[in-house]
Amino acid sequence: MFKATIDAYLLKDSIETLSVLVDEARFRISPEGIAVRAVDPANVAMVSFDLATDAFEDFSGDDCELGLDLSRVTDILAVADRDDKVHMELDEDAKKLMIQIGGFSYTLSLLDPSTIRAEPRIPQLELPAEIVLNGKDLQKAVKAAEKISDHMLLGVEGENFFMEAEGDTDRVKLTMSRDQLIDIKANDTRSLFSLDYLSDIIKPASKSNEVTLHLGKDFPIKINFSIANGAGTIGYLLAPRIESD
Amino acid sequence: MTDFKEFADVCKKIEHTAGSLDMTDIVSEMLHSVSSEELPVVVHFVMGDVFPAWSTEQLGVGPSLLYTALSRSSGLSQKEIENLVRNTGDIGETAIAALKKETRNQATFSSFMDDTPSLSIMEVFERFNNISRTTGKGSQTTKIKNLQYLFNSATPEEARYLARLAIEDLRIGVGEGIVRDAISKAFEVPVGDIERSFMLTNDLGLVAIAAKEGGLEAVSKLGMELNRPIKMMLAQVTPSIETAINDLGVVAVEWKFDGARVQIHKDGDNINIFSRRLENVTGSLPDIVEAVKENVKADSAIIEGEAVAVDEHGNPRAFQDILKRFRRKYDVETTVREIPLILNLFDILYLNGEVLIDTPLTDRRTVLVDCVENTSRIKVDIQVLTDDPEKVNEIYSEALAAGHEGVMLKNPNASYSPGKRGKNWLKKKPLMETLDLVVIGAEWGYGRRANLIGSYALACFDPDAGTFLPIGKVATGFSDEQLAELTELLSDQIVVESGREIELKPEVVFEVAFEEIQKSTNYKSGYALRFPRLVNVREDKSPEEAETLERIESIYLAQRT
Repeated sequence: MFKATIDAYLLKDSIETLSVLVDEARFRISPEGIAVRAVDPANVAMVSFDLATDAFEDFSGDDCELGLDLSRVTDILAVADRDDKVHMELDEDAKKLMIQIGGFSYTLSLLDPSTIRAEPRIPQLELPAEIVLNGKDLQKAVKAAEKISDHMLLGVEGENFFMEAEGDTDRVKLTMSRDQLIDIKANDTRSLFSLDYLSDIIKPASKSNEVTLHLGKDFPIKINFSIANGAGTIGYLLAPRIESD
Repeated sequence: MTDFKEFADVCKKIEHTAGSLDMTDIVSEMLHSVSSEELPVVVHFVMGDVFPAWSTEQLGVGPSLLYTALSRSSGLSQKEIENLVRNTGDIGETAIAALKKETRNQATFSSFMDDTPSLSIMEVFERFNNISRTTGKGSQTTKIKNLQYLFNSATPEEARYLARLAIEDLRIGVGEGIVRDAISKAFEVPVGDIERSFMLTNDLGLVAIAAKEGGLEAVSKLGMELNRPIKMMLAQVTPSIETAINDLGVVAVEWKFDGARVQIHKDGDNINIFSRRLENVTGSLPDIVEAVKENVKADSAIIEGEAVAVDEHGNPRAFQDILKRFRRKYDVETTVREIPLILNLFDILYLNGEVLIDTPLTDRRTVLVDCVENTSRIKVDIQVLTDDPEKVNEIYSEALAAGHEGVMLKNPNASYSPGKRGKNWLKKKPLMETLDLVVIGAEWGYGRRANLIGSYALACFDPDAGTFLPIGKVATGFSDEQLAELTELLSDQIVVESGREIELKPEVVFEVAFEEIQKSTNYKSGYALRFPRLVNVREDKSPEEAETLERIESIYLAQRT
């Protein structure tokens, strides 16, 4: 059983955090809320998504799993105004999700969850550096890097966090000191990331004014932020490119 | 679970093996060692296929998609990848070189796990399946990411064969012949039975499973199935009507229509039409679907015939017009009106649950006549039984006068042998012979034709090895429009380009006229063509239907006598 009502913009934002990495996802429903763990087809980026019942206007759900085609959900949500309420109800027998938005009522066919890639195993990582900053700052740096290269270095030098991109001819570097950041646990680290992925992940993260990064040396980066006044938490993990020596 | 590494090792071993008997042994050992689930996958992989030929599943990975995936996995730019292709001349070697360089290689999470399972054959197949299934917006990205995953999970040696499999060109010289023999050897089933079941099912993977799990008994139980095409029985050329009658005695004479062969599966009101290449062309031929529904009186049947395009006087139109009908996917109704088709039926292989291929031709003919109501659109044409050469000559002249190709001379007692070009069906056509050869390479033209592909490298087919052997080049017989069309058509098939030289994926078949076949050391086939010129682009033929080396040899010998 699953039945819930939520603000349209919140559901849109939630779906976007997933659709930047995967086309289809398994939504794990429980009395506590909704959880998704998904990895992109290349096994390079994964997302942990948790939305607690507090994010909903009303929510009731038993343990079950729904398979959704994210682009179909995005299409449906396109008709909704920001402040519309979205009402969802599972029709278990018909394997359909009934969705009502501002006068429209949709019947969305569910995917068989077993046909969607299984939830990934999440690697246990020790990442010594931690940086907390505004999502907008991160987005600015990524946009500057995109003009020059297809990859970007993120790291900590001394007390400063830096983001650097080097192309065939040009180079750009942004350094942020402790004052410009919300917080930093400084430890010398550096890892290189593909901008293909970083740009996609930054899109939803840029809407948050508090994004936490965890970094290591040639290690994956963790990018965490919350939505819905803390009722939703999103964590991305992105594997690095390995720099040659 | 067998590792993909084992498959890659076997490929490497085969690549360094010269004799086809030794190759058969290696393949047979591998088929013997893999699980039932893996067997059909390995059977197709080793021939450089991902799906059985009759399946509508398509991988849809072209060279440029593959370069992007390699670029993402290796951190090299697309341009650097293209340079590697140019230097190595092979997509497999390119994959090795790119991934070995370890310049900014993209890591995956597997590198950060304590235990990383190695890439298995089934995982590779599963990823190829994902690639085939993904459609619509963002599907290119999904395809690239799945390939990227494979390359990042593979060792360089595995990547060589992954890259080649992704474009379905494995280049280890294993074709249907070797796999058929290997299945026979691995599971101790006579090769003739394997061959027959293959012709009926068109799926060596299916045959291999049957051989493994039920031996000869299961293999011989495999049969034709409605809606899965059967390889068509083919005809040999006879030098003269007299020779044919000498060989066969009484012959069943039919017109050889200038049209396109079709195999029609009727399953209630569900009609499926397959072309010579066994492609499903039902969508392009709604008029034939209707005619079959209305005039074939059977619950279920598999029938064969020749679709002929006619003008307002009922005379046959150019072969190109028929191809227009077969290729048309959009606005089909307009072409149906512009180029009406007539269906001449000549054989029946299956009726209401009964398999008829082992029934003699004359009996099949009676069954066919009984279940078809002849109309102006669909009919069973006249067949004459005779051993009088003059009578045959008369029919032959009538067929030619009506604008058709010639006559078919069939053994009235023969069964239908799927996929065989045997002595039981003979054809008599006038004129010098042409050869159907595969285009495997080309050169950009000079001057006025600088932006057009001007010269085409041709090859014949070696069915045992599944390889194409060069036999010469053709650069005459083309109109400017034709060159422009071909340039566009072949641009998608470019594998490697260096300077003016282009290597192409073997895909397009040319019908080529020539003066003489000569012995030559310039080409790998050992033969060359004197004065080759293009007659037709045979879009109805698959590369595997091109002339075989054996046939080239026999024509060479025949012109000496």
